[in-house]
Amino acid sequence: MRKGTAEKFRRDLTILLGLSIVYLGFAWFVTNSYYQLILTLVPIWAAFSVSWNILSGYAGQLSFGHASFFGIGGYTMTLALVWWDITPWLGIPLGMIVAGAAAVVIGVPTFRLRGHYFALSMLAYPLAILYFLQYFGLAEVTLPMHRENPAAYLEFTDPRYNTLVAVGLLAIAVFVCILIENSRFGLALLAIRQNELAAEAAGIDSKTWKMRALVVSGMIAAAAGGFYACVQLVVTPDSTFGMLVSAQPVVMTLFGGVASLWGPVIGAAFLVPLSKFLDAFASDITLWGMQFHGIQGVVYGGVVIAIILSAPDGVFWTVRDRFFKPKAAAPLPPMKPAPIVAASDVAPGAPLMVVDGLSKSFGGLRAVNNVGFTIAKGEILGIIGPNGAGKTTLFNLLNGVLPADEGTATLAGQTMLGKKVHEVCRMGVGRTFQVVRSFPRLPLIDNVIVGAYGAGLTDQEAEDEAVRALHRVGLADQASLAAGQLTNKQLRLMELARALAGRPRVLLLDETLAGLGREECDDVLDVLNRLRDEGMTIGIIEHTMHAMLRIADRFVVLNYGAVLAEGPPREVVENRTVIEAYLGKKWLAKHA
Amino acid sequence: MSRIGRRSALGMAGAAALAGKTGAQGAEVKIAMLVPLSGVNARNGQLEQMAARMAVEEVNAAGGIKSMGGAKLKLLEFDAGDSPEKAKDAAQRMIASEPDLAGGFGCWHSGLTLAATEVTERAELPWLTLSYSDLITNRGFKNVFQSSPPADQQAKEVLPIIMELATKATGKKPAKAAIVGDNNPAVASFLKPMRDYGFKDAGLTLVADEIFTAPLADATTIVQKLRSAKPDFLLALSTNVGDDKLLVEKLAEFGLSGKKLPVIGNGGHWLVPEIVKLTAPENLEGLLISLANWPGKAHAALEKRFTDRTKEPWFGHDSIFAYAHVMILKEAIERGASADRRKVAATLRSIDITDGPALLFPDGRLAYDEKGRRKGAKISIVQYQNGKPVLVYPEAAASAKPVWPKTA
Repeated sequence: MRKGTAEKFRRDLTILLGLSIVYLGFAWFVTNSYYQLILTLVPIWAAFSVSWNILSGYAGQLSFGHASFFGIGGYTMTLALVWWDITPWLGIPLGMIVAGAAAVVIGVPTFRLRGHYFALSMLAYPLAILYFLQYFGLAEVTLPMHRENPAAYLEFTDPRYNTLVAVGLLAIAVFVCILIENSRFGLALLAIRQNELAAEAAGIDSKTWKMRALVVSGMIAAAAGGFYACVQLVVTPDSTFGMLVSAQPVVMTLFGGVASLWGPVIGAAFLVPLSKFLDAFASDITLWGMQFHGIQGVVYGGVVIAIILSAPDGVFWTVRDRFFKPKAAAPLPPMKPAPIVAASDVAPGAPLMVVDGLSKSFGGLRAVNNVGFTIAKGEILGIIGPNGAGKTTLFNLLNGVLPADEGTATLAGQTMLGKKVHEVCRMGVGRTFQVVRSFPRLPLIDNVIVGAYGAGLTDQEAEDEAVRALHRVGLADQASLAAGQLTNKQLRLMELARALAGRPRVLLLDETLAGLGREECDDVLDVLNRLRDEGMTIGIIEHTMHAMLRIADRFVVLNYGAVLAEGPPREVVENRTVIEAYLGKKWLAKHA
Repeated sequence: MSRIGRRSALGMAGAAALAGKTGAQGAEVKIAMLVPLSGVNARNGQLEQMAARMAVEEVNAAGGIKSMGGAKLKLLEFDAGDSPEKAKDAAQRMIASEPDLAGGFGCWHSGLTLAATEVTERAELPWLTLSYSDLITNRGFKNVFQSSPPADQQAKEVLPIIMELATKATGKKPAKAAIVGDNNPAVASFLKPMRDYGFKDAGLTLVADEIFTAPLADATTIVQKLRSAKPDFLLALSTNVGDDKLLVEKLAEFGLSGKKLPVIGNGGHWLVPEIVKLTAPENLEGLLISLANWPGKAHAALEKRFTDRTKEPWFGHDSIFAYAHVMILKEAIERGASADRRKVAATLRSIDITDGPALLFPDGRLAYDEKGRRKGAKISIVQYQNGKPVLVYPEAAASAKPVWPKTA
């Protein structure tokens, strides 16, 4: 549990408890068994949507095939009951275990894919399982009726108990979600959703976190599916693994609000009763002496479209943005003294990062060609060069985004190559990107804490480190603003703070000054100068020569992937070959 | 609490829409029909609906339930939709909104019936069904009554009947059979006894066995395989009109229409009136269909009443079952002189008659065994002759003689 979220945690828990009690209190007075069924189905679909939201909302791994887990839960429970007479009280947890294992089996190959490819591959699993079940003659399995001792088999004669169990199930699912939201788990997932590469560069092991999200999500979905089967009394592949089942949590969560705790619940609470009431009454409507059986699907679709058009972010976010302005933030605590630097670090002025003979080809193009340089402890090395010179590729090789073809790179004697992005980060290499990757709905402080978590710090350390980083870049006053409200300069500084929060030994900054005005540029340069004075080692890629001249201790000039020149700034800018590379031979001839 | 009170407890806006259904005044006995009125099987539901409405009108016109002082029958209609969840939901809605139902029938499709009867059984509502799946009456339920011979029995009976028809017509026993069908559970249970021992006992070799997932996109490869396998007859076990049409048209295109290759289908969908509009009548000519019921020569007057009233081309499987089920419920209510569902169920469990509604089945007996299966229920065989389906088996009830297509 993150310390800074204690208040939010308590608030969400209170809402959860209050809502559950109000809902159950209401349900207790509903005696019509059909309305009671609706009251039971709302929390079941809500729990399923909550599970989807963990993977696809928080972690942004869009899944069109969550019915896999829902169906596994339903079928495991049912078959355990039919074949071995195992009560659903145990069958549902059993289904959760099977679904957790299935999540690993599904996740290992599927997480190799990203974006649309991931979403579509997920769709394939439930469809494949569906045909298996039909083939094995399990196309319709009914739950045996237990006339004696029905409660032991989760078969209540009073349907209100079904609602009670369903609400309990949803409360557990939401509670898990609250835990995730308020821990580094949730922050890691949000970071992955925003930009997987940036998250890895901040030290987050995205594969592991995604897998954890899938397993947790799959288990909750299985619980929902298991109890759904208990309520429906009949399982068919289509009702548990079907396309429409996979679509349900997507529609409900999009409707209610993606990546919000209450979004899936709002979606289910509105859409489930809507569709059921339409089912009940649409066929009773008689117009011009005709009845329109099946019209409910059209009306339902129309309502969903209308609401999504008017609240494209989902009901939760739209209502929150309109009616609940974020509160004025508590002031940021003062900076704590920096921890003692690791003894293994090199002495100031000695080479900290040593790159030698580094090469990378893309087909016939040698993007980085036999590049070698060193960054000394405590200096700012400017890496400059015209567009396409290979600067960003060089950084990508150094922090593990791309594998190098040849060469070596070491940080204080340890090799940096052949490691994963988050592992390089944990060695002490902080990285920022050309295009800022922020988490717009999260407060600035949370954006920065991600970096500290990535470095493997404990909750307390991470928070202290984030606070210190914000003070160092001069954003302490904006700590509680949502990142979406920051200016371009503040976003640049926020990225810098995120990298700093991971206690880096060296910072690799990729065009930190891009797109800034002259004054803004000066402010950022001041921050960089201050960092150097504190002893930070920095490698910075930049286009704009005059800005670099003001802060860099040394220059490395790249052209066509190779080192063109190296040395003190004044010397380098007067170098004929450098001028030629930047401005061309003609210019040189005219001005020589 | 009154029903209205319960409803207002939820403050339902749509309550008014139901008022027409619930305003029961005076002596009225409510029975329910839960059939697909939307979705892929809606047409079958409508064929049931038309006949059920006619049956209720006839009962009421003839004086209603006499033992209850001429109480009128009231038919409440519910849409089972196109999925087990929808059927189960609708059943739950029916049970919740109509606590004084005396009984009901539906849901045509076995999958829908299986789901809906999970609800009706718990509510102890006597439920009649024409669905074939033997799973329906294998669950130990007390209040579900299956009027059709269940699928396993149909499967056992159909092969010997086919052999008999073929041997009589051609003088020799067929030796090679072929199957084409979808992977619907009803088909699987229909085929199981044949696969287990039926073909072997009849001395048949299975030369083609083509199972597909409905709906069929294209029947070409299937029919090509059938043609090269050269069977003596074909069991065409598709389960919906669209696939039926694709199959018979492709068979005709390959020169294997019902006149050339004996084709035996199973189920009422082969005989919905639309099929003659969807495909040329010659594609259907000679086609034999085994199913659970069909009006025979004794039902000419009933058939005429129905076709005059509805302008449908014939009075078929779905309609005669719906008609029969209304009449059976009426009979049970009449005999028990009560609309209490438990009494109606008890009467249905003990009834054993060979007149009245029993005559709406070709075998002419109405009695249900301890599983809820109709005793002595027998398969019927219908054949398209001159563009119209006619009952050709059992002989006693048949209105025409069967024609076994001569294989080329």
